[in-house]
Amino acid sequence: MARQSQSTPADPATLIGPGIHVRGRVTGEEDLHIEGRLEGSIELTETVFVAPEGIVIATVQARDVVVSGVVVGNVTAEDSVTLNAGAKLVGDVTAPRVIVADGASFSGNVAMGGEPPPPRKRKNAARRAAPAKPAAKAVAKPAAKAAAKPAAKKAAKKAPAKKAPARVAAIPTPRAAKRDDDDTIVVKHAAVESASKKTSKKKTSKKAPPRARVPKPGKRRVGRR
Amino acid sequence: MANTVIGSTIVIDGEITGDEDLVVQGTVKGRVGLRQNIYVEESGILEANVETATITILGTVTGDVVASERAELKSNCRVVGDIHAPRILIADGASFKGNVDMDG
Repeated sequence: MARQSQSTPADPATLIGPGIHVRGRVTGEEDLHIEGRLEGSIELTETVFVAPEGIVIATVQARDVVVSGVVVGNVTAEDSVTLNAGAKLVGDVTAPRVIVADGASFSGNVAMGGEPPPPRKRKNAARRAAPAKPAAKAVAKPAAKAAAKPAAKKAAKKAPAKKAPARVAAIPTPRAAKRDDDDTIVVKHAAVESASKKTSKKKTSKKAPPRARVPKPGKRRVGRR
Repeated sequence: MANTVIGSTIVIDGEITGDEDLVVQGTVKGRVGLRQNIYVEESGILEANVETATITILGTVTGDVVASERAELKSNCRVVGDIHAPRILIADGASFKGNVDMDG
């Protein structure tokens, strides 16, 4: 039985060959090499290898996941997720170590670090709240209270919004834009879709034009898929 | 040879289809449809309806087996289900419960 040997062992314990199509749930306590096609879910205590010709359309949970082929679905690893050159991954990755090699293609969210992956809703809310306006207001309000009389409130609100909060907002904004792109992959999932709908509703109440109708670059991408 | 192998700790609940030999050392539930050979080893448990060219059983099979060429039940295997195959071999010591149909 090949235990944790590097990516292409001579004698893999479990192998889904290139001519095989598995549909359903796969669980186990040994390495799994996928050279064929697997749809459904994988739950392993060891390592999942997806060979260059392997196609996995599944939720993957394992200690380590090494992808050289194609994976569509969320990947959770206790230890690490490795995307080798030529790998293609569409889905969210949760693992303390995520390695993406040059030439790998990946779209999705990444959650590293010790804390458990935050629930989807909060992630989404943070993403929507990040753009400059709310951040600027939050900083502007206390500044206005401290410095100005009620009459001068408006002016004070505008002035500091340009200075101090600009720095605060500058950092999250590009990140938020990037995440909005990532959002397009996640939108497929029903739970997230409803969550993002909620948040976008909130937004429309604040701002006049209903954003949902405008074909955002993100929306278009969903259609393409 | 890069056979497809389902290792002894692996459980697959679903469907396996394809055009390749399959070695089952673990557990497969659901349905298996292959155009090649299936080997169910001693540790293997197949709880599925099976359609294949040939099947060689050393372990446990629960479910109907349809083999287009041959079904072989080795000694110490346990099979519960109907077998449909033009050639059926049952070794001494094999345990089998079900119908046999050898009509081409």
